[in-house]
Amino acid sequence: MKILIVDDSYFSQKTTANFIKKFLDSVDFEFAKDGKEGFEKYKQIKPDYTFVDLLMPNINGQELIKLIKTDDNDAKIIVISADVQKNIREEIEAYGVLSFINKPMNEEKARLISELIRNDVNGQ
Amino acid sequence: MDNKQIRYDILKELFNVSVGQAASMLSEVVKKTILLDVPKIEIIKSDKELCELQTHLPAVLDGTLMISSITFQEQLTGEANLIFPAEKMKTFINLCLNESEQEMQYSDMHFTDMDFDIIREIGNIILNAIVGGLSNQIGIQLQYTLPEVQVFDRIDFEEDIQNKEYPYFLMLYITFDIGDTEIEGAVIVNLTLTSLKELMLIVTKIEDELYG
Repeated sequence: MKILIVDDSYFSQKTTANFIKKFLDSVDFEFAKDGKEGFEKYKQIKPDYTFVDLLMPNINGQELIKLIKTDDNDAKIIVISADVQKNIREEIEAYGVLSFINKPMNEEKARLISELIRNDVNGQ
Repeated sequence: MDNKQIRYDILKELFNVSVGQAASMLSEVVKKTILLDVPKIEIIKSDKELCELQTHLPAVLDGTLMISSITFQEQLTGEANLIFPAEKMKTFINLCLNESEQEMQYSDMHFTDMDFDIIREIGNIILNAIVGGLSNQIGIQLQYTLPEVQVFDRIDFEEDIQNKEYPYFLMLYITFDIGDTEIEGAVIVNLTLTSLKELMLIVTKIEDELYG
């Protein structure tokens, strides 16, 4: 399984990957530091799941989600953001993302995401 | 990315999460969505030179400034200051009171007791979210005082902050876009040398944990 993590923080990229690794086997992680690089990597590797931070330079997370969804409306996107505002969450969820998780990432959140991915893969 | 850059990245991200929480709380107060900008952070050594701080204070923070401060102690000792241009705070107070644009008196720079009360409360929310959020994430305990609000001229503020006995500043630049209003400010966290070392020790530990 290929997971692309798009986050301008190297720390967050690694933390998210380390937590997810605890719950999902055989995952190849790819990383991008902003929306621009994220979209290029997305087109190049066509990941099974894309984790997107919202607050990023160049192209922000919301714009990246729009680009990805325009390319493939069925793309599986999980948002991991520090923004905890309800309005923002509702706006982003309207794009049809799989899940919206608030930072900081922790073991419990990673377990939930992994469960969600596992169920999605098994078609539940 | 070298070790120094990684530690800076960790620190920035810790504050990023806290600023996100602060924005959410503010959004509930003003009943509007708040758009955040990508945060920036710097560690500044404040030795003797007054110009040192001047170089780092954003240009928008000119003229009259409104500063909310809390001091904290226990595992870290220091003071956190939230700085916004007074003119923008007037607009922000009106947003908090849910007054319409037409009712706003942009030219009136007189602050009432009610205005100070609002700013004190807003400062309390933002600084608690930022300092408290940081302490939660890194697993330390802090005790802090109630916020104080003061109005300074930029120059007076620079002198005031540099006369205190904290040799290091963590300067965090924040921008809140509330509706059509952009409010650009900064959070300056003054730390003792021991506290800065303690904080960086924790950050280094987080960095080590990244690599298992």
